[in-house]
Amino acid sequence: MKVLLVEDNERVTQFVVKGLQEAGHTTDHAGNGREGMFLAASEPYDVIIMDRMLPGGIDGLAIIEVLRKAGKRTPILILSALSEVDDRIRGLRSGGDDYLTKPFAFGELLARVDALHRRAQSIDVETPLIVGDLHMDPLTRKVTRGARPIQLQPREFKLLEYLMRHAGQVVTRTMLLENVWDYHFDPQTNVVDVHISKLRQKIDAEFERPLLRTVRNAGYTLTADDSFR
Amino acid sequence: MMRSSALSLALGYVALGIVALVLFAAPLWYAWHVTIQEGRAEILQADAQRLTDTYRREGAAGLKAFIDARVGMQIAGERILLLTDASLHPLAGNLATWPASVPIVPGNYTIQVEIANQGNATALVHVAMVGPYNLLVGRYNTIFAPLETRFWYGLGAAVAVLSIAGLLIGLITRRALMSRIYSIRQTVSAIMHGDLQHRLPMQPHDDELNTLSRTINGMLEQIELLVHGVRNVSNSIAHDLRTPLAELRSRLEELALIRPPPEQAFAEIDGAVADVDRVIRIFDALLRLAEIDAGMRRSGFVALDAADLAANAVEFYAPAAELRNIDLALQAEGPVWVSGDPVLLAQALSNLIDNALKYAPRNGAIQVAVRKRGDGSAEISVSDNGPGIADAEKSKVVERFYRGDASRGTPGVGLGLSLVLAVAKLHGSALSLSDRHPGLTVAMTLPLEPSGPAVHALPDGPPGAGIIGPASLVAQVRVAGSGPASLVS
Repeated sequence: MKVLLVEDNERVTQFVVKGLQEAGHTTDHAGNGREGMFLAASEPYDVIIMDRMLPGGIDGLAIIEVLRKAGKRTPILILSALSEVDDRIRGLRSGGDDYLTKPFAFGELLARVDALHRRAQSIDVETPLIVGDLHMDPLTRKVTRGARPIQLQPREFKLLEYLMRHAGQVVTRTMLLENVWDYHFDPQTNVVDVHISKLRQKIDAEFERPLLRTVRNAGYTLTADDSFR
Repeated sequence: MMRSSALSLALGYVALGIVALVLFAAPLWYAWHVTIQEGRAEILQADAQRLTDTYRREGAAGLKAFIDARVGMQIAGERILLLTDASLHPLAGNLATWPASVPIVPGNYTIQVEIANQGNATALVHVAMVGPYNLLVGRYNTIFAPLETRFWYGLGAAVAVLSIAGLLIGLITRRALMSRIYSIRQTVSAIMHGDLQHRLPMQPHDDELNTLSRTINGMLEQIELLVHGVRNVSNSIAHDLRTPLAELRSRLEELALIRPPPEQAFAEIDGAVADVDRVIRIFDALLRLAEIDAGMRRSGFVALDAADLAANAVEFYAPAAELRNIDLALQAEGPVWVSGDPVLLAQALSNLIDNALKYAPRNGAIQVAVRKRGDGSAEISVSDNGPGIADAEKSKVVERFYRGDASRGTPGVGLGLSLVLAVAKLHGSALSLSDRHPGLTVAMTLPLEPSGPAVHALPDGPPGAGIIGPASLVAQVRVAGSGPASLVS
C-alpha cells in the first residue's frame, strides 16, 4: 500500500514512517501544506494521513476540501491535536474519512489506515463474508461455522460483521466503539473486551481453531491464518 | 463640562414645549382679535344707525340734543361722538376737531386719539353721512388693553415655567444618571483590575438602566464562571497529572539507572506507556469537561429518543453486568423525544451505569429508567442497590477528582460524576442523588421535544439495525460523506 503522510512534526513523522515501513507500506512524506497539496493532487496514493495544522499557509482541512472538489476519492485519515467533538465533526465534514487525535498509539493508526484502505477497495455490502469456515450472509443475517448455525444478538451480529469485513486486520477497541456502537468517547472500562469474549464463546468455543484473536496492546483480529503474528 | 445627553434632551423638550405653546396661542390670539374687532364694528354701526334714525325723525336739532344728552350721560373717554357740518365744523359731541387721519368716507377706521389726561389711546371709529352732516361714532380700545396684557403675561409665564422646569428636570436627571453611571464605572474598573466578584448596583424599581445592569451582571456571572472553570481545570491538571507523571518519571529514571535485562526492561516500558495513556485519559476528560462547562456544545443539540439512548447503553453494558451476575434492567416506554446532545448524553449515561456497576454488589440489581414527567420534561435515572452515598458526601462526589471511601481500589480517575453533572447542567438540569435504602438513584431531567425528530431516525426499526440512539452528528456526517463505515467496508 502506498501512503502519503502530510505532517510537520519530525518525531511523529519518523515514528509513523518507520512503523508503516515495518508493516510493509511505502510512505511519501510532505513537511508542509504546499508540498502536501502538490503530492496529494499529482501522485496516486491508497491512503493519505493528513495533519490538521500545517506550516506553509495551507491548512490540512483546506487541502482535503480542494482534493474532494477536484474529484479525488483517496481515503484520508485526519491526524490532529484538536480533540473536541466539534473539531472532529468539522474534520469529517470537510471530506476526511476518519479522525485520529494526537497523541495516538501506532497500532491505532495502522489499524485505521488498513481499515480505510480496505473500505476503499470493497464497497459491496451484499456478498457473503467468509473467514475460514465461518460464513455470514449480510442479507439473510445467517451465520454458520462449518455446518453449525450460530445464533447472534443483533449487536453481536454487527460486531462480527465489522470484524469479518476487516478480517486479517487489527481492529482496535476505539474502532469497535465507534463503528459498532457509535460511541465517540472512551467508556474507560473493558466493556468491549466483555462483548468480544461473549462473541468468542459463540463462534470459537467449541471449535479446534480459534478465529478471533487478541492482539496485545492493540485490539483484536479475526483471521483463519494460523501464522498471524 | 462634557456634553450631557440628559441636559440636551431636556433643553430640546423645553424648546418643543415653547413651540407648541406658540402654535396654540397664535391662532387663539388672532381669532380673539378678529372677533372682538368685528363685534365692536357692528355695535358702532348700530349706534350710527340709531343716530341717523333720530336725525330722520327729529331733524338736525333733535340729533344735536340727543348727542349732547348722550355725551352728558356717558363716562368720559369711553365713547367718542362727533357731529360736524360739511366743512367739518363741530356741531355736537365730545371731540374738539375732526381727527386728521379719518377720511370723510363712510367706513371703519382705527385711529390714535389724544384724551385730556390719559395720553394717547387707540380707538375704533365709524364714519357715516347723516344728511349734509358728517357723523363719527367711536369707542376706545382701552377696556381690552388689560385683557391683552394679561394674555401676554400668561403666555410669558407659561414659557418661563416650562423653561425652568425643563432645565431643572434635565439637571436632576443628569445628576441621577451621572451618579449611577459613576457607580457603574467604579464597578467596571474594579472588575478590570481583576476582581471578578463585583456586580453592578441594582435599583429596587426596574428601569432601562437597571435592565442593562442586569444583562451586564449576567454577562459577568458567565465570565466569572468561565474564568473559574479555567482556573479549576488548571488547578486540577496541576494537581492530578503530577501524580501519574511523577510515577512515570521515577519508572523511567529507574530503568535508566538499573539497566535491567531486556525482558524486564520491555515490561517496564509497557508500564510506562500505560502510565502515559492514563495521563492522556485524564487530560482528555478534563478538556471535555471544560468544553462542556463553556457551553460550547449546545450547538450539538438535536431531537433524540432518550428511551433508545438508554436501551443502547443498557445493551452495551449488559455483558459486563452479566459477568458479575448483576441484573441490569431497563424501564422505558419509548419513544421519548428530547432535545439534547447525543454524544454527551450517551457518555453521561454510560458513566452512570459504569459507576453503578462498580458499586452494586454481586447478584445486585441496576435499573435504568426513562419516563415522561408531568411538567414537559423527561427523566433519565440510574439506580443501584450498592452502598449508596452518605448525605455528607453527596455534594462532594460531583467535585472533580473526588473519590469516595468506597471507591478506593477501583479503577477510574474521579471525573465520572463531574462529567455527568456538567452534561446535566448543559441541558439545563440539576443532578439529583437520592437514597434507595440500600442504594443510590442518580437522575437528571431533559426538556421534551414536542415536535419529535426533524428527520425520522427509524424508531421502529429492528434494534441495532437503523440509525440508533446516539445518531450523533458524527454519524450523520459520515452518512453524508461516504456512508456508515460498517456498511461500506
